[in-house]
Parts: sequence; structure tokens; C-alpha cells
Amino acid sequence: MVSRGPRALRCFLRGLGLSLSKPYLAIALWLIQLMLAAALILPIGNQLHALLDRSPSGAKMVAVPDYSWWETVRRVHPDVLGNFPEIATGLLSPEGIPWSKLPGMLGVGATAFSLAILAIVLHAFALGGTLGALREPSSSLVTFGREGMRRMPAFLVFTFAAWGAAFAAYQWIYVGSGVALRSRVRDLHTEQAALAVTGLRLLALALALAVIKLLADSVRTVWVARPDLPPVSRFLFGIGGAVARPLRLFGILGMYAVTTLGLYLIWLVLDPSAGGEARLALGPLIITQQVFVFVRLLIKIGYYAGISEALTRAPSPEYSYVAAETPAPAEPSAT
Amino acid sequence: MSAAKVRVLALALCAGAAAAGLLAQGFPPPIASYQITCRLDAEKKALEANEVLTWKNTTARPAATLRFHLYLNAFQNTLSTFWRESGGDHRDGALPESWGSVEVTRMTGPDGADLLPALRFIAPDDGNPNDRTVAEVILPRPVQPGETISVALDFAAKLPRVSVRTGYKDDFFMVAQWFPKIGVLEEGGWNCHQFHAQSEFFSDFGNYDVSIDVPARYKGRVGATGERVEERETSAGRVLYRFRQAAVHDFAWTADPSYLVLEDTFREAGLGDVRLHLYLQPEHADQAQRYFGAAKAALSGYGRILGAYPYPTLSIVDPPWGAHGAGGMEYPTLITGGTAWSDPRSVLRPEGVTVHEAGHQFFYGLLASNEFEEAWLDEGFNTYMCDRVLKAVYGANHVDLDVFGLHFPLGIDIHYPLDANLRYFDVADWDVLASDSWKFRNRRSYGGQVYSKTALTLATLERLLGTPMMDKALRLYADRWRFRHPKTRDFIACVNDATGADWTWFFDRTFFSSGIVDYAMAQADSVPAKAPLGLFEKDGKLSPEPPAALARARGYDSVVTVIRRGDVAMPVDVLLRFEGDRVYRSHWDGEARWKRFRVTSGPRLIEAVVDPDEKILLDADETNNGSQPEPDLRAATRWTTRAVFWVQNMIDFMTVAW
Repeated sequence: MVSRGPRALRCFLRGLGLSLSKPYLAIALWLIQLMLAAALILPIGNQLHALLDRSPSGAKMVAVPDYSWWETVRRVHPDVLGNFPEIATGLLSPEGIPWSKLPGMLGVGATAFSLAILAIVLHAFALGGTLGALREPSSSLVTFGREGMRRMPAFLVFTFAAWGAAFAAYQWIYVGSGVALRSRVRDLHTEQAALAVTGLRLLALALALAVIKLLADSVRTVWVARPDLPPVSRFLFGIGGAVARPLRLFGILGMYAVTTLGLYLIWLVLDPSAGGEARLALGPLIITQQVFVFVRLLIKIGYYAGISEALTRAPSPEYSYVAAETPAPAEPSAT
Repeated sequence: MSAAKVRVLALALCAGAAAAGLLAQGFPPPIASYQITCRLDAEKKALEANEVLTWKNTTARPAATLRFHLYLNAFQNTLSTFWRESGGDHRDGALPESWGSVEVTRMTGPDGADLLPALRFIAPDDGNPNDRTVAEVILPRPVQPGETISVALDFAAKLPRVSVRTGYKDDFFMVAQWFPKIGVLEEGGWNCHQFHAQSEFFSDFGNYDVSIDVPARYKGRVGATGERVEERETSAGRVLYRFRQAAVHDFAWTADPSYLVLEDTFREAGLGDVRLHLYLQPEHADQAQRYFGAAKAALSGYGRILGAYPYPTLSIVDPPWGAHGAGGMEYPTLITGGTAWSDPRSVLRPEGVTVHEAGHQFFYGLLASNEFEEAWLDEGFNTYMCDRVLKAVYGANHVDLDVFGLHFPLGIDIHYPLDANLRYFDVADWDVLASDSWKFRNRRSYGGQVYSKTALTLATLERLLGTPMMDKALRLYADRWRFRHPKTRDFIACVNDATGADWTWFFDRTFFSSGIVDYAMAQADSVPAKAPLGLFEKDGKLSPEPPAALARARGYDSVVTVIRRGDVAMPVDVLLRFEGDRVYRSHWDGEARWKRFRVTSGPRLIEAVVDPDEKILLDADETNNGSQPEPDLRAATRWTTRAVFWVQNMIDFMTVAW
């Protein structure tokens, strides 16, 4: 029996191949992220230099952070970090983080929140550029910019809507279930049972987020692929594309998640920044970090290319986009 | 001789023999002794009990009344002083709406007089008419100085869902502060405070003989203060346990059919043998040795400095999931621990709690200070000693990250004692440490002051005195006040006696002050020396030419200014390190607001540090204690690089997705 369409692994690998063939896409994303990070880090870096450069503590902290120093800085300079650490750890807690914590953000936390808004806008631009450039056989950075600007209004709407849905899922599924189950979880007989309940809540959240993401990515992909259709049809075709190929899309997303997690695992095990200068000098460390970021972005572009492949490569008579590039090679005849 | 006289004589002989036996063990004569028989209704979470209190008036004044603590009534309703002060929130989060109470149903005094009609509730601390945690009874005739009386009571107790030390969770019971308990009569009157949200307890030493009747499913899984002297089946489906302990001032017990009951023995030359009983939750079975190891570390570490633990047993209770409010608590010869299923070995959670609570056997158990009025004498002193033991046995603790309930070590050291007590600095000037427990601004201030400020104060004192002298003072305090009720002034007297100097100033500036200590390096400059300019005497005349010896500039001119930013002065050292490993060290009494050091035409200054040996652990901002003229960019650059990297990843995570 011959497979009629690309399966998840094939789509993902083909997407990775496309990503590697257009490295400027990853470079563009890398520059965007670096720019955003720099805006956030500049005040932190200056503060660190002001506190450490002439301090005898500095020499002790090249390799490892000093707990007492860190806590003292948090206390003495509350305007720098605000409640950002509490918010970050609250996100990882079984209870989640209530919205009432957000107004307490100062300094880095508030800047991060503002930059997150900017990041969403840039993300919409970058996704338009990426998906547009991926569809053209001979594209360039110019294509990326042009397509990004061209798709931006619609992609902004999709991205904000997806973010809104993701926040709602977090609030209603994770935080809401945590509040509703709090006393029941305490009544459980063992801590392991309580952890299992948290695991189920997380699983439900992850599933909801994955569905939101795949729907959004499907709509974006079809939006780029079917410019011939009116907007409402494009949107509905995008939804239909995700509904029609759930396993394949979940498969690609799963491979993307596993590959990225594997990459992080390798990073955490090797931990190039540990040990201070004893392991890596500053220059090689920065290069290693940025290479890691770049590889991760290549995989990310690969994911979007894979999704694009899955939704548009195998034509479906009803709605799928027929690839404009060279026709697919003929299937070998079955004998 | 009549039969009655023979019985009285026999009882007197027995009592005399028992007293002689106790004294031989170094135990004091009892003041408040209890004989209690109780029956647990595990389904109704209730106790029916009778109690015989034998109490001696050790003051020089007659006692016309008796005062009793009825602690369980703190959980009776939301009008109690405890509920009002806690705001419905305590050690295990929001307090459950599960009510507890204790009701005295019979009280007879000496000569069989019915005292119940004369029983009334009082609120000596806040006048709250709805608080039922202290009761006073007027006696038909006063108890004379030196006289001993017996009072018999029947009482019924209802246990709350455990949230603050005592109560139940499913089949688990931690039964503490459960019986009517007499206050402490002092020369100035009764010391019998209400149950507060921020305080613990205070009572006299005595002998306890307690029988506990539980359903048969608890067989072998009942632990309590003291030694178990009896186990027998009573009526159908029930088991009775009897525990006895002399020379203690409270009694608590626990029962849980799920317990794994394990035993071990602490044995060290000069400190005697102690049987350790561990009542462990099955899901923590792999942490048994962590509990035992920590208990042994405490008995050894405290015992070597303060003298041997005098009782034959120590029981450790591991509360189940959902009953953390029962954890981290001390009772005579019984403590409750606390751990999590996924606690990494490098994170000393069960060890820290166990050493701390076992340490309370000394600071609380033996040195029975008033926890209502001078909580630092037990919690703070114990935190100080606990930090010493943990540091000596385990080294540093480590920061862990709680990820959805699972704990992961982060590889960041928490050093004892400073890092472990940083919470003091958040509340440094909120309260004077020497305050009644319930009068602190809030629980955060209570914790930061009572536990952490005291620990840092004593650790600072240790660094100023030297460890051997500090140990000498502690031992003197322990020997002088064992089985008694010491006060802060008694400890200060011990320090003064041990050192032969008056250290009252130190305690005035720490225990009795809310002032902050903060020394800072305001200036540390080192610039190439310049040739002198101006007019100089030469051959009796003024000339623009400097003398040959001064004409050429040599070395560096260095200026260092140390300032006292805090209100509280402490003696500090100042260290100046110059090129060529030349070091200048000066001692400053720290009283003035600033002190300047100048070195002209010397070697280049590399570093200037105030308190270089980190003796003054109360210094609120250690980050400003030193300065070096030449900046070293490495640490900041490296951490900035790390921050950029992880923010890039965070941005990617945020945009990966939606």
C-alpha cells in the first residue's frame, strides 16, 4: 500500500531540510530575539556592573552566584526585580499565578511585560515572513521582510487571539482546577496522589495549548497558501486543515517539542557556563550560547515548514493549496 | 496504727523513694504532675478523658485561684483570639473550617469540693470575651506556699482538622495542647496566657502518666511523650497504651494506622544512650535514615555543648500529606518532622526540621523559658545551635526549585548561619526583638526577629567572643538553668560571668533594639602621588623648588573612608590590602559615623574591606562592605551574558507558541 500523503516524521524532516536551506530565516529570528533580550538586559547588566565591578564579592561570583549577595540585592534594590522572581516561580507552582500579582511588577518584570507585547508584534511579523518565504522556491531576506509586512495585520489578530486563548486556558484549566481542587488535593492520602493530580491538570493544559497552537498555525499556513480565497474562507479552511489532520499535526508538534527538549537537556547536562572561567572563557561561552540559540531557531523554522508541508503538500480536492514549485515526483508504480 | 495511716505512710514512702530516684537522675522535684486516662473516638475525632493534677505552690504567696489553659478552644470558632489574630491563615495556609474544643465536665478540688461552678473564662491578654482558652477557678481555700493539692477533672475534647500543630487528618491524629493544663504561678501571680496566633507555650515541670485507649487498628502505631510502659487489649477491638515520663512540661501523642514504626539508638560516650522511635509515612520510607541521622546529629551536637539529653527516648513523627500543619513542632521527648516525597538529598529539609525540633529538647525542653513572653530564648537560641550543627555535619544547604510540586536542586549553596537567616533583614526595623510573641507586627516579623535575628545575634557574639568562650557561656547557662525557667537577663548574666566582662551593651543594641547595623565602604581611592607644589623653605627663604627629598613623586596616595550607615554601632575591623601583599588591619570601635584612613606615597591600594572576617552577621548590607579601586568586570559580564542567553530562550518560549 502506498501512502497518499506525507506522514508526520517525513513532514518534520522535510521541514528541517527546508529550514537548513534557508538559514537567513533563523538568522532573522535570532536577530529579533537578541534585540529584544538586549533591551531587557541592558539595565540589568549595568546594575550588575555597578554592584560587582568594585566589590570584593565580584571575584567570588565569576563562577557561582552567591545566595546572600543575590538576596541582599533583591532586598536593597526592590525596584530592579520587583516581584518578577515570585511571578516566575509562581508559574511553575501547582497553584499557578493569580493575575493580582501582575500589578506588582517593577523594573525588570515590568520591562519584560512590555517587551512581551512587542515580542508578540514582532512574532506576528516574523511568522508572516517565515511562512511566506518558505513557500517561494527562491526567496531571500527581502522576501521575508516583504511577506512579513504583507501578512502582519491578519497575523497580529491571529497571534493576539491565540495568546488570549492560551491565557484563558491557563486561567480556566490550570489555575481554575487548582482552586477548585485545592481542598480535595489536601485530603488525598499521599503526596504522590497529589502530584498525579497536578500532572493531569498539566496534561490537560498542555493539550489545550497544543490545540490552540495547531489551530493558529494551521490558519496562518492556509492564510499564506491560499491568497485566492476570501478571508473568511481562508480562516475556515485553516481550521478545517487542522481538524482534518490532527494526528499528523500533533505528530509534528510532538517531534518539535521532543527535539527542542532534547537540545535543552544536552545544554543542561553539559552546562557550558558552569564553573566560570575554568570551563569556558567569555568569548567561547558567548559563541556557544548563540550557536545553541541559532540551532534551536533552525528547529523552530523546521517545525513551521513541516506544518506547511503537512497542510499544503498533499493536495486535497476540497481546499488544499497545490504547491507552486516543481511537481512532486511520480509515485513508483506498485507491482 | 490504723489501716488508713498505714496507707498514707506507704504512699509517703513510695513518693519519697520515687523522688529520690528522680533526683538521682538529676530530675527536679515535680511542680505540676498529671495522671490522665483518655479514650479516642476515631470516627468522631473526639476524646473522653479524666485527669488528676497534682500541683505544688512553689511561690512565697498563697494561691487563691488556679488558672488553666484550654488551648483547644482556640479552634472553637472564629471569635477566638487565635482566629482573630491569624486572620484565618496559619502554618499550613488557610485554616479549614473544622472546629475543635475542650470542655471540662467535672472538677473537684482538695477535700472533694466541686470546683466547676467556680470556673470562669478570662482573657488576661486582650480582654476578648469570646476567647475560651484560659479558665480561672476560685478555690474554697488558698493553697499555701509549699502546699501540694490534687484536682480531678473530666473533660471532653473535639479535635479540629489539623492545621496548627494539633488535630486529625483521615486516620492520622496528632494530639497536642489537648488537656486542661495549669499555668505557671510566679511571685507576681499567674502566668497563663491565651492561645495566640504567634506564640507557643509555657508550663511547669512534672511527672506524666498517661493512658491512651485507641481502636485496635492503631495497634503498634501509637507514639507519645515518654516511655511506653504498657500495651494491652481492653474491650473488643480496642488497645490501651500507657506512657510515663518524669520531669517534662507537656505531653503529646500521635496515632496513625499507616505509620511505619522504626527504631534506632543514639549512642555516644558521655552522652548516654537514647532510643529513637520513628513514626514514618510509607511514601517517605527511603528517608528514614535522613531522619535518624539528623536526630543523632542534634543529640550529639547539642549534647556536647549543653550537656546530655537526659531522657531515655526520643520519638520522631512524620506527618502525612495534607497534615503539614502538624509538622515542625516540638514536645517533650517527641518531635514532628517534615519532608516531601521528592526532596533531593542535597536539600536539607528533613534534616533541618529534625535537627531544629530535636534541638528544642534543650531550648524549650530543659531550658524551659517562657515562649509567650521571650520566644527568642527557645526559637532563636535553638536556631543558632541548629545552624551550628547543620553546618558541622552537613556543610551547606542548597536552593531548590519547586516545579509543579516536584523539588529540584539548583546547585546554589545556602551557607549557615547567614544565608539561612536572611529573612531577618526584610523586617530588621519592624519590631524590637524583646517583645511578647503576639505583639509582633505580623508573622513575618515574628519569624524574622525571633528566629533569625536571635540566631545572627548569637552567631555575631560567638565571632566576637570566640567559639570556646561562647560554648563556655552556653554551658554555664544550660547547667545553671536546666529544668528551670530562665529569662533573658539570666543568659546575659551567664555571658558576663563566663567572659568576666560586661556584655550588656551588646544585648541592649540587639535584643532590646530595633536598630540596624550597616557599615559601608564609602570611598577607596588610590592615585599616583604627585610632586608637591607651592613654596618651600630653603636656606631660610621660601622657594618654589621643593626639597630634593620631596621633589620626586613616589608611590600612590590612598584614601579610604568607612561609614556607619546603621543606627547600631558594633566594633569592626578594617582591612586595607596593597600591592605586594602588604596588608594593613585596624580595629575601629564603630561608634563614630565615619572613619578615614590615609596612606601617602605608599603602594597601590588593591582592596579595602570593613569587617573582612564577616564577624558582624547583623550587617544589613554586606554588598557595600568592600571596594577596590580597579574594577573587575568579569563577574558582571559573565552574569549579563547568562542573562541575555536565558532571556533569549524565554522570549522564544513565549513566541514559540501562540
